[in-house]
Amino acid sequence: MKTKRLILILLLIASQFSMAQNVDINGFARTYEGVLYDNSNFGIIQQTLNLNFEKMGDKVAFNANPMIYLYNDDSLDFRMRELYLDLYFKNFDIRIGKQQVVWGKADGVFITDIVSPLNLTEFLLPDFDEIRIGVIAAKIDYYVGNSTFEAIWIPVFTPTERPKPGSIWYVQPDFPVPPTWDISKEKITPNLKYSEIFLKYTALTSAIDFELMGAYTWDDNPTLHIEKEFGLDPATMQPGLLDLNIIPQHHRLTIGGGSFSSEIKGVILRGEAAYYNGKYFLTEDPAQSDGNVKKNYLHYLMGLDFNIGSVKLSSQFIQQTILDYDENILNEKTENTMTFLARYDLLRETMHLELFSYIGLNNEGSLVRPKITYDFDDSFSILLGSNIFVGDEKGRFGQYKDNSMIYIKLKYSF
Amino acid sequence: MKNLKILVSVIAMIISMSYQVVAQEMTAREIIEKVYNRSEGDDQTSNLTMTLIHKSGKERIRKIKQFTKDLGDMEKSIMFFQSPADVKNTSFMNWTYNDESKSDDQWIYLPALKKNKRISSDSKSDYFMGSDFTYDDLGDRKLDDDTHKLLPEETIDGVAYYVVESTPKDEDYMYSKTITRVRKDNFIGLKKEFYDEDEELLKILYIKKFEEISGFLVITNSEMQNVQNDHKTKMILSDIKINTGISDSKFTERMMMRGM
Repeated sequence: MKTKRLILILLLIASQFSMAQNVDINGFARTYEGVLYDNSNFGIIQQTLNLNFEKMGDKVAFNANPMIYLYNDDSLDFRMRELYLDLYFKNFDIRIGKQQVVWGKADGVFITDIVSPLNLTEFLLPDFDEIRIGVIAAKIDYYVGNSTFEAIWIPVFTPTERPKPGSIWYVQPDFPVPPTWDISKEKITPNLKYSEIFLKYTALTSAIDFELMGAYTWDDNPTLHIEKEFGLDPATMQPGLLDLNIIPQHHRLTIGGGSFSSEIKGVILRGEAAYYNGKYFLTEDPAQSDGNVKKNYLHYLMGLDFNIGSVKLSSQFIQQTILDYDENILNEKTENTMTFLARYDLLRETMHLELFSYIGLNNEGSLVRPKITYDFDDSFSILLGSNIFVGDEKGRFGQYKDNSMIYIKLKYSF
Repeated sequence: MKNLKILVSVIAMIISMSYQVVAQEMTAREIIEKVYNRSEGDDQTSNLTMTLIHKSGKERIRKIKQFTKDLGDMEKSIMFFQSPADVKNTSFMNWTYNDESKSDDQWIYLPALKKNKRISSDSKSDYFMGSDFTYDDLGDRKLDDDTHKLLPEETIDGVAYYVVESTPKDEDYMYSKTITRVRKDNFIGLKKEFYDEDEELLKILYIKKFEEISGFLVITNSEMQNVQNDHKTKMILSDIKINTGISDSKFTERMMMRGM
């Protein structure tokens, strides 16, 4: 209760201050309710207030974007999505503070887009502008014509957020015996030597837009190091695995990659690729005492955007490949996924029909997301949608079969 | 004095006849070329307000700040959307080339996604922000995309007009033909009729006001009326500034992302 009062007071003060300083305020209020097909339970009941404070000058600008999520159990999730200061110079800009950074040309797939970690507490379902977590960083962009050199320094590492036990999106890891967890090594100490560096070169030309990037970073997902204890099972008196100790730990990654987009006879051709140097994968190789092996890894995508009449279509093929693969690795050597998007606007762009789908080609699972949005006026819209998970129950999408839902969102923008 | 009056009358008659001879020699293509190539300066800044009016009378308003610059062999433009709230800070950049074989380059920056996306310039038949203007209506249609035919001239309220019928060479184009009334004195296309694929009248564009700004004629108030569904869009340009020397750096990804 104290936290809620504090947030309310802070927002009131911020609003008063903003009005006094002619700060521009916009944002939205949204209600979002979803019902599971499986048992008619509410999969989500969420109220959101998104406030965006911005003040822009010729030499300096600032932005603050607090977001408040209120859930049906009256729990409150307050997030400062962004809070930064911009400094503008003749040929370069500096942004300091909490910020979201988006790289690459892929839609709904994160290949070179690795600066801002993801909030996966509701899998991939939040809007893509809400799925990224802001990071406290210093970013400098240096401009030469239509080219940009960008450097980002992130002093403190932020990992991917994953669903917690009790969430409908939490998946219990499958181990042969109930494990014990040692999280003593999971957190990266805030220290200069543990900071992250990202570099990017961007060119925007008539023929092609492209980006080249490099990163010295941390793997956003922890490696699960496994300590195994073998002995005689007291029940059966047979030798076997007695205990598992799981030690999550983040490791350094060096990543290089790039992306491009170009138009060829009315069709936008997009591509993106990244080479991950030294990523850990779970293995059953007995020679690997901690159950992991370090391999290089390639993640790439090709995509097309085109129109048939007034219907906008987009499709992407994504492949993840473990290089120098050995058969003991639990992941498959290659994992292929496709995405498909169709969008049609009607009634003078007041009604929008959309179908987006991830299709896993390895285990034939998919997530199908049809939705229809109607704008009652320029401020108020209603969205009716569905998330349908299909496929093998051990697959990436099929494991959430029971979470297929129909949902409604009412949104007021101001 | 009488002789002077006669002399003035004779000179006026000669000028008028010469003008008519020149005018008569103009082909429909040349007239439309003059309409398309009417100079509006090397660069221009303006605020655009579009009012979308439903047949019920309900209005929706879109506000845009726009910059254009003629670079000789190409024209660059950038638009910053200011309202409605859900599109605020969205920006759109277009590079158009004089080379008719080269299609436009277009990008859109979506602030919520923090992403600058190249988009296809193939969707010129789409309506701009739900208005009655298509992207093609707003852009510079290439002169030789159509075959132009001169129809009998008209005089309305004492103003003489060329009347030109333009038929697209692409049979699949959204309009079967357009008929434009072009003022003979300044080559402004003051009224334009658009016919649908069934050759039925679809829309009428009215130029309601043009002003001389910094020595250039600029259309400041126009209205597109869809006669088939009784919907119309009013378009008003304000705060127009011409030849202020807009820097090339205005038309870059940096500005799209930063905003105005």
